[in-house]
Amino acid sequence: MGTQSSSLKRYALTRLALVVPMVFILLTLVFLLMRVAPGNPVSAALGGHAPPAVIKAISHQLGYDKPVYVQYGHYLGQIVRGNFGTTISDRRSVGSIILVNGAATLELTFFAMIIAIIVGMLVGLVSGRFRDSPLDTGGRLFGIVVYATPVFFLGLLAQLVFGTWLNWLPTSDQASPITQALMKTHTNIFFLDAIIDGNWSAFWDIVKHLILPATTLGIVYGGVFIRLIRVNVIRTLKEDYIEAARARGINERSVVYHHAFRNALVPVITVVGLQLALLLGGAILTETTFNWPGLGHELYVYLQNRDYAAVQGIVVVFALVVVAASIVIDFANAFIDPRVRY
Amino acid sequence: MHVRPRLRHLAVLGLAGLALAVVGVTAAQSKPLHSTASTIIDGTTDTVTNVDPAGNYDYGSATVDLLVYQHLLDYPEGHRSPTPSLATGCTANAAQTAWTCTLKKGVKFSNGDPFTSADVKWSFDRVNAIKDPSGIYGLISNLKDVTTNGDYSVTFNLKTPQSTWPFILTTGAATIVDHKVYPADKIVANTDTKNLVGTGPYVLSKFTPGQQAVFTPNPNYDGSLGSVKNGGVIINYYSKSSTMKLALQQGTIDMAFRDFTPTEYAALGKTSGITVFKGSGVVIRYLVLNVKRPPTNNLAVRKAIAYLFPRQDIASRIYHGNVQPLYSMVPAGLPGHVNAFGELYGLAPSTAKAKAVLKAAHVKTPVKLTVWWTPSHYGDASADEYTEIQRALNASKLFKVTLKSAEWATYSKTLGTQYGAFQLGWFPDYVDAEDYLVPFYASGSNFTSNGYKSAKMDALLHQEQGAKSTAQRLSIVQQAQMIAAKDAPIIPYWQGAMLAVGRSDIHGIQGTLDPTYLMRFWEITKS
Repeated sequence: MGTQSSSLKRYALTRLALVVPMVFILLTLVFLLMRVAPGNPVSAALGGHAPPAVIKAISHQLGYDKPVYVQYGHYLGQIVRGNFGTTISDRRSVGSIILVNGAATLELTFFAMIIAIIVGMLVGLVSGRFRDSPLDTGGRLFGIVVYATPVFFLGLLAQLVFGTWLNWLPTSDQASPITQALMKTHTNIFFLDAIIDGNWSAFWDIVKHLILPATTLGIVYGGVFIRLIRVNVIRTLKEDYIEAARARGINERSVVYHHAFRNALVPVITVVGLQLALLLGGAILTETTFNWPGLGHELYVYLQNRDYAAVQGIVVVFALVVVAASIVIDFANAFIDPRVRY
Repeated sequence: MHVRPRLRHLAVLGLAGLALAVVGVTAAQSKPLHSTASTIIDGTTDTVTNVDPAGNYDYGSATVDLLVYQHLLDYPEGHRSPTPSLATGCTANAAQTAWTCTLKKGVKFSNGDPFTSADVKWSFDRVNAIKDPSGIYGLISNLKDVTTNGDYSVTFNLKTPQSTWPFILTTGAATIVDHKVYPADKIVANTDTKNLVGTGPYVLSKFTPGQQAVFTPNPNYDGSLGSVKNGGVIINYYSKSSTMKLALQQGTIDMAFRDFTPTEYAALGKTSGITVFKGSGVVIRYLVLNVKRPPTNNLAVRKAIAYLFPRQDIASRIYHGNVQPLYSMVPAGLPGHVNAFGELYGLAPSTAKAKAVLKAAHVKTPVKLTVWWTPSHYGDASADEYTEIQRALNASKLFKVTLKSAEWATYSKTLGTQYGAFQLGWFPDYVDAEDYLVPFYASGSNFTSNGYKSAKMDALLHQEQGAKSTAQRLSIVQQAQMIAAKDAPIIPYWQGAMLAVGRSDIHGIQGTLDPTYLMRFWEITKS
């Protein structure tokens, strides 16, 4: 036990130590990419309206005329102090954007992930269990098509069908304007805020608004789980212990659902972590399509304005979330499977 | 073996979450959503940079400020010239270098503080002290200082004569704030709604950046802009017009103001239960020609382009009639407007005249011309607009036009420093002819960097700013437009209408659509 626990500790410390250079490289890349991109926030905001002298004066005021290395030093200094700065275009603290809009992204990606897992598990299991049957072909085809479909395209289709034609579901925002205006915010996660207040009419309104964006994003990423689970189910069904279970006379349903399927789910834990990065990327497009006020939506808006501070802050948060998720997954894997730590 | 219990726990947690959701949903169906029947819900693709008037210079923020604040002079519905609002009147000295305004008595801010001359001085002084990067302070750059004469009179001392100072008093830089609340040297944060107090029709009760602004009627509002006819306003912000269109069609929002694509306006116009309202507008679009770079440094080339410009086709084919051809930088409908380009180059394109002017100047044809435009600032129709311009010029066989585009952040930084011919648009700071001439033709303030300088034009614009009477000023404005058309450093080509879209239960939109380009939400009702 002692050896096991110390190897896990060593693995955890090594993994954590790697985070520092990883984050540093990431911060540098984000900073440089923003500076390489043409234009600056001042010309984006005032160009075509103010004389060049005014634009120059304001750029000076904001420090954009300073050498890049000076700006970089200042930027790193601020980040180290935990200060992501203030946006240039609308003077919001990047920290507040991360809290408020990050909560919206968390809400969306959480439910999208649940949908992705549910869709992936159901279709993957059925495909794997009935390998090479029409059900399997249908499941595989569904998996490929949804994964290959651009998330914004699926979103537009969903808006058209369920919003415009059938008029069943709202096509934008986190809640209807009146609900949002009257709601009290506690966690910035609308779903939870409504529960905390026991405001069930708002809760239902929020659920209705969540269905289309979460399902769109979830279905697209469910495609990966479908293929993964199908392959794992097929592989597990060939394992010796499955054959042994069958030989013992356990009925097929029990073999598949109690033995094969549970074991087929283990690798999914790893993929869930890896999928998080893709999910956040997809959230940018989904949020823009559905006017969902998450970090992706804000990133889209601030990128257009060349708002260095906002874009840097949001990208860094996205990256940190992915890094954190990968560490958690690594720890989970190392905890579950001792082979990983050696 | 360790896995199964964990998976089981996870499954139990997931099921518990789902059960909670189901219980919630079931419970939710039993109670209707609280509704505020007379609240107007508007959608917009505008963004808000700062609510504090000392820190914004964009239309989205100005729309919020219009509901919360007032100026000494304003434009109530039906008024097209600056009208007393917080002032009872303003008069200039003989030299037009000092404007004195007397103030209304008994006006209160929404927090109950009385409005006095101290607030006026404070408001102007802080704009100049803050010098916000939005550049709003530039509008009062001619202000030397503000002096108070008792509690209800102020004098604005100017650096140079300015007959249009009353127009400046209607701009964002001249918004009146409470001196007891607003800091002298810093902006009040957008979410600090308790401290964003004004004397206007509404109180900003909630502001969620990028999502929503909620306004409730101001109990202390004196009604000088017109009475508040609804129970409040919610402005919902959208990043894409297509999403806003769906929300309007679904009834999530009652109306939308700014902005849809021409195709979306056309589609909404055909949608049952939805009306597209159209009024005079003051937004213009124009092609800047660089007078320092070939081939547009040649006056004959600029004139030939003016002769060939397909204004009618752009207005009808690209914008479905939502814009009208423009023949001067000063839009039609504003005092002093003349159809300068129409008079000099004709209302319809003329290949023969273009050919003649090029031939007389011994210009070899076809003239190779690169025209720049941006896809990311003036709407989706820009691509079609510039394809139409290219088609028209090339069809004459006098030009060989190449189109090039750049994203706005790059484009706005470059303009005349590298581009020879390029697209721009203009929304005025104040609705007067002067604001369509000085920023483009005065050599000291030409922001397009197209190299245009004319001593005659400079002299005229200087005279205009110090004109003693409106008649004299408008006469100078007309002369300036004719010189601008003759020199053709810029070719204006369309003037946009003010468009708003409303559902059938929304009334009063049409009345607020006029050249002042203000959406007076307090005049709108919901049945």
